[in-house]
Amino acid sequence: MKVLEAKKITKLFPGVVALDDVDISIYSGEIHCIIGENGAGKSTLIKCLTGVYKPDAGEITINGKDAGKERSLFRRVAYVPQEINLFGHMTVAENLFLPYEKTGVNGLINQKELNQRALPLLKDFAINVEPEMLVRDIPVSAQQLIQIVRATVCQDYQILMLDEPTTSLTTEDTVLLFDIIRKIKATNKAIVFISHKLEEIFELGEVITVFRNGKRVAHERMPNVDLAWVITKMTGRAMNQDETFYSEKVTDEVLLEVNHVTGACFTDVSFKLRKGEILGFTGLVGAGRSELMQAIFGYLPAYGGSVKLNGKPFKLGETNYSVRHGFIYLPEDRKKMGILPMLSVRENITIPSLSKLTRYFSISRKRESALTEAVISAYNIKTPDAEKKIQFLSGGNQQKVIIGRSMSCDPQVLVFDEPTKGIDVGTKAEIYRLMKKLAEEKGIGIILISSEMEEVMKCANRIIALYHGEIYGEFACGEKKERILSAIIGVQADSKGSYAHD
Amino acid sequence: MINTKKKGLATLRRSTLTAITLILFVMVVIAGFISPYFLDMYNLQSLIRDLAFVGMIGIAQSLLLLVGELDLSVGKIASLCGILAGMLMVNGGVDPFLSLGIALILGLVFGLINGLLITKLRLNSMVATIGMSSVYGGINLVLTKGKAITQIPESIYSLGKGNIGPIPIPFLFTLGVLLLVLFLTKKTKTGRYIYAIGNNREAASILGIKVDKIRVMIYAIVGMICALAGILYVARLGSSQSTIGEKWPMMSIASAVIGGVALTGGTGNPAGALVGAAIISVISNVIVLLGVSVYWQSAVSGIVIVLAISFSSLSTIISEKKQKKLG
Repeated sequence: MKVLEAKKITKLFPGVVALDDVDISIYSGEIHCIIGENGAGKSTLIKCLTGVYKPDAGEITINGKDAGKERSLFRRVAYVPQEINLFGHMTVAENLFLPYEKTGVNGLINQKELNQRALPLLKDFAINVEPEMLVRDIPVSAQQLIQIVRATVCQDYQILMLDEPTTSLTTEDTVLLFDIIRKIKATNKAIVFISHKLEEIFELGEVITVFRNGKRVAHERMPNVDLAWVITKMTGRAMNQDETFYSEKVTDEVLLEVNHVTGACFTDVSFKLRKGEILGFTGLVGAGRSELMQAIFGYLPAYGGSVKLNGKPFKLGETNYSVRHGFIYLPEDRKKMGILPMLSVRENITIPSLSKLTRYFSISRKRESALTEAVISAYNIKTPDAEKKIQFLSGGNQQKVIIGRSMSCDPQVLVFDEPTKGIDVGTKAEIYRLMKKLAEEKGIGIILISSEMEEVMKCANRIIALYHGEIYGEFACGEKKERILSAIIGVQADSKGSYAHD
Repeated sequence: MINTKKKGLATLRRSTLTAITLILFVMVVIAGFISPYFLDMYNLQSLIRDLAFVGMIGIAQSLLLLVGELDLSVGKIASLCGILAGMLMVNGGVDPFLSLGIALILGLVFGLINGLLITKLRLNSMVATIGMSSVYGGINLVLTKGKAITQIPESIYSLGKGNIGPIPIPFLFTLGVLLLVLFLTKKTKTGRYIYAIGNNREAASILGIKVDKIRVMIYAIVGMICALAGILYVARLGSSQSTIGEKWPMMSIASAVIGGVALTGGTGNPAGALVGAAIISVISNVIVLLGVSVYWQSAVSGIVIVLAISFSSLSTIISEKKQKKLG
C-alpha cells in the first residue's frame, strides 16, 4: 500500500537548487534505500518528507491526503537523525518519552511508571541498559538504538526514516539493528533507509532510489541492480568539463612529511607532500579529513606522531607557529572559522600581515590601503569598496579574500578545506585555476580536502582516501572514479591490497 | 534585497557613536532648561568628576567587551588597590606617590590573575570574576576590618579634588586613559587583533593570533585602570574606604553598552563608553536637581538607563520590520 507520495518536489536555497522536480513513493512493508553523494539532496528530501522544510513546489500526500494542508499527517513519519541528539543528563526512560504530550504522559511525571513503560521497549530492541541510567553513561551504540526506539514510541507512525543509523555502530550492533528493522517492517510499516555503506544497502534494501545534484536519477528494485550500477548512477560520470587543474610542475622535493599522526578522529596517518603538488584528500563527511589537517596545523590536539616541514621538525599544537612557518589552513566553514564578519574587507585582508605594515607601533594606513588594493585586484575580489563589511560579500568573494590574505603570509603549504563549498560553478573554476597557479608558479604544496569526487579528480595530482580516520588508498590522478569511491566507502581493497575492515 | 537590508543595518551601527553623542547634547540642553542649577559651574564640575570614574572603568570594560568578555570584579579591584595604597602610605610610611605606583602594579597583577584563571582554566569570564570579586572584597575586609583608612597624606589630594583650569583632574586622567586605549585599539596591530578575537575567536586562532595571550593582556590592563580609578577616588575622599566602586561593575557595562559597544564582542568604540557614562551621570544629576524623592531616584535612573540601552537594538528592530514589509 502506498503510504507516502511526493510529486514534483522542488526546494531552493539561495544560489542552489537543492531538490529539482523530485518524485518518490513509499510503500508500507517495504525497505526503501536512498543513496547519493554528499550534497545530492538526500537530507533536503528527508527534511521535506518529515515536514521540517516546506518545499517551494510540489505536493506531499500521506495516506492519500495532502500533508501540506494537514500538517499533523507528518506525525505518521518517524525520523531518526544521523547525529545522536539525546539529553545526556536525563535517564533512558525520560529520553524515551520526551516530549511527554506525544506519549500520553501528561501533567505530573511518575518516574516509576516511566521506567515500567520503558522496560518492554528496551527488551524488544535488545538494548542492555536500565531505564534509570543516564544516557551519557551508556555506550554510543545503545544511544543510537535508543534514538530509534524513541522515534517509534512517540507516535502512531507508519513510516520509519533512518538517516545513516550505522555510523556509530559496531558490526554486531549493526546485525542486531537490521534484525530489528526487519521486525518493524514485518508489522507492515514502511522503512526509508539512508546509508553511504553500499554493502548495507544490498543486504537490507528492497527498492533503491539514487540522487545526484538534487535530481532523482534512478529508481529500481534491488534484485535488478548490482554495485557497478549503483556507483555509475551515483556518480553519473558526468565529467563533462574536460578542463583539469592539477599541477604540471610537481618537483621531487618533499615539502611536508607527516609520520604516524594520531588524533581524536584519525589514527596513524602518514603521507608526503611535494613542492608544487596538489594532494587531494577525500572521504565521507566524518572521515577525519578536516580534523587531521587541523591537528597538523595546531588547531586541534594531536596525540602522537611527528611532522617535518622542509626536512626540519615541525612543532604541533600551536597555530601561531604554523602560520609563521608558512603552513596555512583555509577552513571549510568560512563563516564560523574564516572571516571576521563585522570587520571590513580591508581589515580582513591585512590581518595576517599587520607586523609588516606597522611603523612606530601604529599601522600605516597608506601601506595598508596599498596592500588591500593589491590583493583585491590580484584575486579579482568583487566588492563595492574596501570598507565594506566582509559578511555582505558573496561566499566566493569571501573565499578569495581568505586565499588572498593567506598569500601575504609567504605560505609553503596551503590546506584548502572544501574550498568550493556553497560556491557557484563559475567561481569554482576560478578557484581551481588559482590553486594550480599557486602550485606551479610559487612551488606551494597544496592539500585539497574535498567531498566532491569530481573536484578532487580534476585538481589533485595524487588522491588519498580516508575512511574512519585511516588511509584506505592512495591513487594517482587519472584513476578510475569507481575505485576511489569504493575506497572512501570502505567496501573494497585499496590499491595496495590491504582490506577494509569493519 | 538582502544587500539593501544589511546595508541599512551597517549604517545604523556605524553611526551609533554619533547618534549617542547627539543624544547626550540634547539631554544636556534639556537639563539646562528644566533645572537652572544644572549649568552651574560647581554642579558641572562635580558631575564631570563623578563621570570621570564611571567613564574610566567603562572604557576599561569596553576593552573586555570588545573581545567578548567582561569583568565584574572591577569595583573590588579598585577599592582593594585604594586600601593597599592607603595602608602603604599611612601604616607603612612609604612615599605617597611611590605607594600609588605600587598600587597600580598591584592592580595589574590582580587583572593578570583574573586573565590567567579565565584563559588557563577556560572559565566563563562573568562567573569567574564574580568569584574573584568576592576574593578581592574579602581580602579588603580582612585587611581593614571594614574600617576606612584616614589620614591620607594631603600631598595626593589634588589628584582627586583638584582642577586644572575649570576641568577636574580625574577627568583629565580619564581622557588620558581614553587616548591610550583608542591608540591601542584603533592604531596598533594588537588593537586589530582585539577586534578580530571579538568578531570570531576561532578564525582569529586559525589566523595564528595568540588569542589567550591577548585576552590575559587585556585583563591586566583593565586591572591597572581599575587601580588608577581606585587611587584617584581615595585622593578625592581623603580616605581609603572599602565601599569604593560598589556600583562600578554594572555602571561600566551599562556605559559601554549605551555607548554602542556590543556585549557579544567585536564592534564598538571605547570612546562610546565615556559618552555612555556621561549620559548616566547627567540622568542621575538631573534627578537629584529636580528633587525626586530619594526613594525613587534609583528606580527612575534605572528606567532611563534601560531606555538608553534599548536605543541601539530598537533601531535594529525598526529597520528589520521595515525590511520585512518591503520583502
